[in-house]
Parts: sequence; structure tokens; C-alpha cells
Amino acid sequence: MNARAPRSNNAVIQSLAQIGACGLFLLTLLAAIPRSFRYLRETIRQLWFVGAMSLTIIMVCGLFVGMVLMLQLYHVLSIFGGTSASGMVVALSVYRELGPVVTALLFAGRAGTAITAEIGLMRATDQISAMEMMAVDPIAYVATPRFLAGLIAMPLLCCVFCAMAIFGGHLVGVTWLGIDNGTFWANMTAVVDVRTDIINGVLLKSLAFGAVVSLIAVFQGFTTPPTSEGVAYATTRTVVASSIAILALDFVLTAFLM
Amino acid sequence: MSQPRSSYAVGTGLFIVLGFAALAYLATQTSSVANVHQGDSYTVDAQFTNIGQLKERAPVKIAGVRVGQVQSIGLTPGRDVADVKLSIDKRYDHIPQDSVATIFTSGLLGDQYVGIDYGTAKQVVAAGGTLARTKSTQPLEEMLGKFFGAGGVVDNVGGSYSVTADFTNVGTLSVGAPVKMAGVVVGSVQSVRVDPVKLNAQVVLAIDKRYNKIPDDSAAAVFTSGLIGSQYVAIQPGGSPDALKNGDEMILTQSAMQLEDLIGKFLVNGSPSDKKDAGAGNK
Repeated sequence: MNARAPRSNNAVIQSLAQIGACGLFLLTLLAAIPRSFRYLRETIRQLWFVGAMSLTIIMVCGLFVGMVLMLQLYHVLSIFGGTSASGMVVALSVYRELGPVVTALLFAGRAGTAITAEIGLMRATDQISAMEMMAVDPIAYVATPRFLAGLIAMPLLCCVFCAMAIFGGHLVGVTWLGIDNGTFWANMTAVVDVRTDIINGVLLKSLAFGAVVSLIAVFQGFTTPPTSEGVAYATTRTVVASSIAILALDFVLTAFLM
Repeated sequence: MSQPRSSYAVGTGLFIVLGFAALAYLATQTSSVANVHQGDSYTVDAQFTNIGQLKERAPVKIAGVRVGQVQSIGLTPGRDVADVKLSIDKRYDHIPQDSVATIFTSGLLGDQYVGIDYGTAKQVVAAGGTLARTKSTQPLEEMLGKFFGAGGVVDNVGGSYSVTADFTNVGTLSVGAPVKMAGVVVGSVQSVRVDPVKLNAQVVLAIDKRYNKIPDDSAAAVFTSGLIGSQYVAIQPGGSPDALKNGDEMILTQSAMQLEDLIGKFLVNGSPSDKKDAGAGNK
């Protein structure tokens, strides 16, 4: 499968080498941030591509996640006569877990793969080399703007996702199932805390996930073998590695932030 | 060339505005902003012998209105008394010095909070002052224990005599369940069966021989230990000079309370059955 000649047959050593290379690549990216400021327009273009273009899928998925969550909770909580608490459970579970994680998974599938494929094809068609010939730093011009765009876009997308989930929960709970509107909001505002739920939950987690997903996407694009098979493989690996990284990091972050 | 560039910029700008609008919506409409950004406040100490499950940032309420929050919880140095610092809004700086701080539980299973009942003193408690009069939390187990007279486990009782008692409903009373008097185990349930003639439950109680002075007009009742505990038979002594003997029947009985019904009346604010149809179609 892998077009590159494996340097080692040991899978463990290989994945360790991948992680190490990824870490070094992150340092290169961060070091290139000052140089990439002169390509601000490119960053905005990437923000448009990974952020604004992902809005539709994020909004639709957020809406349905909120709706199905409310539906499930309503049926369970009605056993205990506690349906009035379902609004707050929807809010807490979306803010703390589902919002950042699902947004990040969607983001990896929607934007991460596109970034990897684009950069991979740039390498396959020698555009990266051409940039170097023209004294344009490909890290500062190609990699860092995409990384920064992902970093900025993820928290914003996550906020939109959460707002849509609350809207979906409200739609199902209040409009269809008949939970009292006042109770719905009062219970929610009573337990949702700006610091622990919105800043720690929504913003910090999604920022971390945004960094991880865009780093993996850009790294996979830059290290892919410049063949069509290599690009396909790298795109798949972006999704797999991002998903694992998101879920593992989610556990670590939750343990630290709670 | 400039056309797509400006459309990117406008679209990206819209996206960022939308993102921040969503954030503002989450922060203001769905969360307790007021709980974090409170105005000027002052701190008052209160010492409790037991704070139960009280947590930092739990609300402080006067007459049910939130006036502040618990700032910190610690042990008073050198004593086994909890020192709770209450941060109270400057607007409510007229709390009398002899007010009573009590730890309440919101609802049956809710969080705990500090309630302040106003006293009558002319002096108000100053910033950094201490509320001397406090009432600690009442552990639910203790209250229920007082309620149901529960506690203790089934003993192996040797040398017993049997009396029968008829109940209209024994609930989930099982063979081997304890028989208690004044909360102390004095015997166990020997058998539970339905009387084929009277069509009620006939329970045979094996009572320890040591307790042979139980008046024969004593009443037997089926109780539950705690909220969800097992059921037992409690004997409430009567006033007769004659004692219960082997084979006697206890006339006065009280059947099992349907705790589910009681709690149901308490907790359920909407019957689950009447909303079932609305969601069933989406399954």
C-alpha cells in the first residue's frame, strides 16, 4: 500500500516516527507564523474554505444531534417524571462533549481531507517545488494559513453547532413534546456555567481539536508520497488519525478541565 | 481577480460574525451569566457542624432569592467545624446580626444551598463578620430513619415463639425480613402466605423468647427501611396487661404503604403516559 520504502518494518517504531515527525512539523508551522502574515489574504481564503463552506453540514448535523438527544432524553426521563430536566441535560451534554467532538469529527471529514488532498496533489504536481524555485516559502504560504484557518474556524463552528443543537432540542422538546418553555430555559440557565461549560467545554476543547485536526491534515498532505495512490492513502489516514486523536484528546482534556 | 477575493472576504466575515453571534447566544441565553458576573460583594463567615454536600459556588438565598454564593469551604483551624465563607451581593448589606444560616437541599435529590433567615437585631452583619447562628444539614438518611424507624439488620434469632398477623397488603415483605420493636430487631418473618378464606396475607412472625412481655393488643405494621430499602414488620406496643403467647394472632395491623404512590404524588409533575404518543411516531 505504502509507496514509500518502509524505513522500519516495526509498526510501533513507524508510528512513533510519525508522531515525532508530526511534532517537529508543528514547530516548523508555528515558527512560520510571523512569515505567513504577509499571506493574510491566503489565510482568509482558507478560512472561507474550511470554515464558511463547512457551515451547512455543521448546522444540519447540530440541529439533528440536538433533536435526537432531546427525543431520547424525553423518553428516558419521562419514566421518572423528570422531563423538565431534559433541556439542561441536552445543553450540558452538547457543550461538554458532543459539540466539540462531533464538530471536530465532521471538520476532519469535511475540511481535513480536502486540505490533505489539496496539498498532496500540489506535491504530486510539483507545485510545492515550483514555489520553492520562486523563493516562496511553502510552509508559510501553504501550510500555516491552513493551520491557522482550522484553528480559528473550529471554535466558531463549534459555537454554531451548539447553538443549532439547542435550537433542535427546543424544537423537539418544547414545540413537539410539550415541555414548558419557561422550565426549559430556566433549568438550562440554572446549571450551565460560562466558565466550566462554555469556555472550557465549547471553546477550549474545540480550539484543541481544531489544532490537532488541521495539524494532522497539513502534515499528511506534506508528507504524502507524490503519487495518486499516496494521496488517497494520506487522505484516509487524515480521517483515521484525526478521529483517534480527537477522541483520545477529548478524554485527556475532560479529565483535566472538569 | 478582485471579484472572488472580495466574495471570500465577505463570506469569511459573515462566517466569523455568525460564529461569534452563536457564542454570544450560548453565553447569554443558555447559561447563568448572572452567576459569574455578579456586582460588588462582601464576605460573611458562617460555621457549620456539618455541611453535607455543600459545594463552592453553591447559591446563598434569602427568602428563596439568590443573593450570593459560597466562596470557600474549609475547616475552622483547630476545631472540627466547617468554616464557610459566603460572598453576598453589596445590595443586600442589611442582614441582621442574629440571622440564622441554614443548609437546605433543593427538592428531594437537588443540590444544597445556604439559606439565611432574618433575625430581629438592629445591628447588621458587617463585611468579614460572622453569622453566629447556623443550622447544619440534616442528612436525608437520618430524617428517613426517624420517619420509618429503620436501621439494623436481620439477626439470627434462636428460641422464638410464633404469632400471626393478617395484612391486607404486605408489599414486598419476604420471609426472613426483620421484625422490629422501637427500631430494634426482635424477630423475623417466618412465613408469608395468602389466607384462602379471608383472602388477605397471613404473616407468621417468629419473635425471640426474650421479648415475651409484648402486650397482646400491640399493632403490627409493614414499613420500608429508607426510600428504597427492604420491608420489615414493626410492632407498636399496646397497653394490655396480657402478653402475646405462641400461636396468638395480632388483631391490629397496618399494611404496607405504597411508597411509590406517595413519591409519585410528590415528584411527578406530568404523567408520563399522556405524552407517549407524541414521540412514538419518531422511533
